[in-house]
Amino acid sequence: MLKWGSRRADGPQVAPAAPSAPADAIVTTKVFQHFLTAVGHQPSPTLLDLGAVVGSNVSFFGERFACKLHVEDLYSDIEAHAQRGERAAMAKFLATRLTQAPDSIDGVLCWDVFDFLDRAAGLVLAARLAGMVRKGGALYASFGTTAVELKHYTKTVVVAEDTLKYRVSPATLTPRTVLLTRDIIKMFDGLIVAEQVLLKSSTRETLFRRP
Amino acid sequence: MFKRDEAVKPGVPTDGPRAEAPRSSGSDMVNIGTIGTIGKSVVIKGELSASEDLTIEGTVEGKIELRQNVLTIGANGKIKASVFAKAVIVQGEVHGNITATEKVDIRDAGSFDGDLASPRVAIADGAHFRGSIDMQGASKPADAKPGDAAKAAADAAKPAAALPAPAPGAPVAPAAGSIPR
Repeated sequence: MLKWGSRRADGPQVAPAAPSAPADAIVTTKVFQHFLTAVGHQPSPTLLDLGAVVGSNVSFFGERFACKLHVEDLYSDIEAHAQRGERAAMAKFLATRLTQAPDSIDGVLCWDVFDFLDRAAGLVLAARLAGMVRKGGALYASFGTTAVELKHYTKTVVVAEDTLKYRVSPATLTPRTVLLTRDIIKMFDGLIVAEQVLLKSSTRETLFRRP
Repeated sequence: MFKRDEAVKPGVPTDGPRAEAPRSSGSDMVNIGTIGTIGKSVVIKGELSASEDLTIEGTVEGKIELRQNVLTIGANGKIKASVFAKAVIVQGEVHGNITATEKVDIRDAGSFDGDLASPRVAIADGAHFRGSIDMQGASKPADAKPGDAAKAAADAAKPAAALPAPAPGAPVAPAAGSIPR
């Protein structure tokens, strides 16, 4: 006889997993659009992209802003640490990984990199990035809200200013670090949250600004 | 040795320096004219300059100057140098800085570590890139085409476009969960 609400005792205990993201999923975004607007206020802005290089993104930013773009693929560093079983060493690694000067960047594209970092590493990276953003500059990031095992990295392709395409690639299994809104605000000391939107995919898309 | 072979295209590994036929297909940066090739067994340390298009399949360390011409770093090419050229095609490995007055094209098998300055940059999927890209010589919004201007005007008309820098001390008002899509 069925007992409503009771857990099946004989079934396999399956850990929650990240919803399998469809390849080349296309999403619409307002926050990213606002990031572009914010960055566009600077003539020839300097951008910092923490994801793997995407040729079409480079063309997009180049044509739109005639900018300088620093590409620092932290995902490859994260994967390298994960494969060596040295995920805990990421905080120390990130303390010196980025060499951009303070107050030198107009726009930072973090994508979802904080999902793959533990709290200590996230704090170190957020502090470094907050210090780099110039007055009036912006930082775009997204934060997952469900504690799941991440099986893939997502490479974000800018299709248009309000449209992003997600391409997935395999990752060493990583528990997602879920951050509360107040924790996120504290992490980026010196920046303020200009906009935050919770997507249907349980991702919190966030735009930070330096006042 | 320097006999021209009309069938050979640039980028094909060769064993030594030779002149090759012009390439008629590919990107718009290719010139019709003589294209020199540095073969894969050649190692050059120092300064390399030319007034013709050049394909490098060998190793070059130092400085490369082709101010008016196209430099192609072939699949076997290994460059540790500062490069100045009109246009650069990267199919091999480059460690160093590239300055191109027209375009840099990093192909899918290409690898680049360094700083790159060019008004136009194309990076293929699968290419390795680490460093910075300076496109500040590219067309500014003021130089945009009429279609772009119309698009920009439409963007400006959107309410979200007027996103001023927040005032110091402004209250933090995250709207988590406010606009599910």
